[in-house]
Amino acid sequence: MESRRRLVRLGSILAVPVLWFVASRFGLIAGLPTPVEVADAYVAELYRDDFWISTIQSTIRVLASFVVAAAVAVPLGLLIGRYTIFADLTFPALEMLRPIPPIAWIPFTILVLPAAELSIMFITFLGAFFPILLNTVQGARGVEVEYPRAAQSLGANSYQTFRHVIFPGALPAIHAGMIVGMGLAWVNLIAAEMVAGGTGLGFLTWSAYTSGSYPTIIVGVITIGLLGAISSALVRLLGDWQIGWTEPRPN
Amino acid sequence: MSKHDDPTDDASTAEPAPDTTGKTGAIALDNLNKTYDPEGEHVVAVEDMDLDVAAEEFVALLGPSGCGKSTVLECIAGYLEPTEGEVVVDGTPVTDPDPKRGVVFQENRLFPWKTIKENVEFGPRMHEGVEEGRAESILDEMGLDGFEDAYPSELSGGMQQRAELARLLANDPAIMLMDEPFSALDALTKEIMQKKLLEVWERDNRTVLFITHDVEEAILLADRVAIMTARPGQIKDVIDVDIDRPRDPEVVTTDRFTELRERALSVIREEAERALEQEDGA
Ligand SMILES: Nc1ncnc2c1ncn2[C@@H]1O[C@H](COP(=O)(O)OP(=O)(O)O)[C@@H](O)[C@H]1O
Ligand SMILES: [Mg+2]
Repeated sequence: MESRRRLVRLGSILAVPVLWFVASRFGLIAGLPTPVEVADAYVAELYRDDFWISTIQSTIRVLASFVVAAAVAVPLGLLIGRYTIFADLTFPALEMLRPIPPIAWIPFTILVLPAAELSIMFITFLGAFFPILLNTVQGARGVEVEYPRAAQSLGANSYQTFRHVIFPGALPAIHAGMIVGMGLAWVNLIAAEMVAGGTGLGFLTWSAYTSGSYPTIIVGVITIGLLGAISSALVRLLGDWQIGWTEPRPN
Repeated sequence: MSKHDDPTDDASTAEPAPDTTGKTGAIALDNLNKTYDPEGEHVVAVEDMDLDVAAEEFVALLGPSGCGKSTVLECIAGYLEPTEGEVVVDGTPVTDPDPKRGVVFQENRLFPWKTIKENVEFGPRMHEGVEEGRAESILDEMGLDGFEDAYPSELSGGMQQRAELARLLANDPAIMLMDEPFSALDALTKEIMQKKLLEVWERDNRTVLFITHDVEEAILLADRVAIMTARPGQIKDVIDVDIDRPRDPEVVTTDRFTELRERALSVIREEAERALEQEDGA
């Protein structure tokens, strides 16, 4: 049963290059390069500095924006989740801004911020910020009241209660928010790089489009996908390490 | 919203209780009232309740579910602010939770994200610091050696309850407030836990307020059994349990135990009938 499922799943993965090959070989999608052409273009890109600089630049932008987003959203979310006054002061304003897709801010931030770099980072930051914030708030609110009470009756002060009870209690939710946030950070980064121009994988892909170099577009798409998958895996790994207690370990 | 955000005029009315013995852990409920007000509907959980628990005494608070037992305990712990009246511990009105007043909750509340040892060391770590080897010796006493590095979810219900008791003892509270701590355990585990609790109490000189709805458990454990009325909670009657200590679970077969149980049950029955009549009248 299990092995049959694995076979079906493998088939699902293999279907992508097969369909791609068929579609490009028989010209079903005009202009779609074949897998072999893309592989050639990929090898060529690996020898170009520009490709590596773009890759490193995009990675740094995502990581930096993500770390800043988490560093702001987690403490803010914990406070909003636990203190009514804090929630009333900040949450309505944040809730009003949240439905605006971060990408909509791109033209404005390019005009207002002194460097394109900053507006790209800001858009990426927004992508990660809201999912982490909302999940943290929910996580902090979900910590049952007896846990902080128990801590206080054991002598913990407010800070210690936050540090040792509310934060770890909210961690599973924070982690869920980080997984979503990492995905959206990439989405927004690529969009921002395409518009703001200059450097990065988004820009590389977009300029391949403007120069009509079809295989390079696909190279960009595949690289973005790979990096997205790697970052998600890293966040997941971090989470598994931090919240191992949610799963009983075999003794 | 907890009481800490709520400035009130609660303190400074109680005169310090005379402490002639040098013992600590005396609890006095002075005309305690607690009303819940969720969206305007008035729930009077406790009304005009008076009760004195002497230092180092073991008192069981017995009553049907919903009569306000947990509310009383949460007022003593300092989680809830009384609507009227006050809780006085060793002459000082209670305003906040304090490590002198340890709590065992109805459902197990070990911190799931900390190992058993980290849980047990939690209290000392928060204030004076951890004494090397102390957690181990308490866990040993509770029959939990070898589980120091396990997480609570890896333990059985009975073991979790012992670990929670260990966490409390490691913090050395003068008062132990226990809210139906054994009600979720199977009969055999429950009996083991009761024995363990009595052992610890007889040795350590602590005050225990033990909430239960189990008549036999109350009589088996306590010096006095305070029986509550149906909601709004008040003390209906207090029964002195004049059975010698150390007690073991066999005392339930003695005539004296049976007499006391019948007395407690008749009080409860009377109260149940009164509550029923009230409902019919309403
Ligand atoms: N936070 C609350 N808000 C409103 N009503 C409550 C709240 N907590 C308890 N009550 C009500 O107060 C009464 C007493 O509850 P409780 O003290 O938990 O009783 P017990 O512990 O004896 O079962 C019950 O009727 C319960 O529904
Ligand atoms: Mg209760």
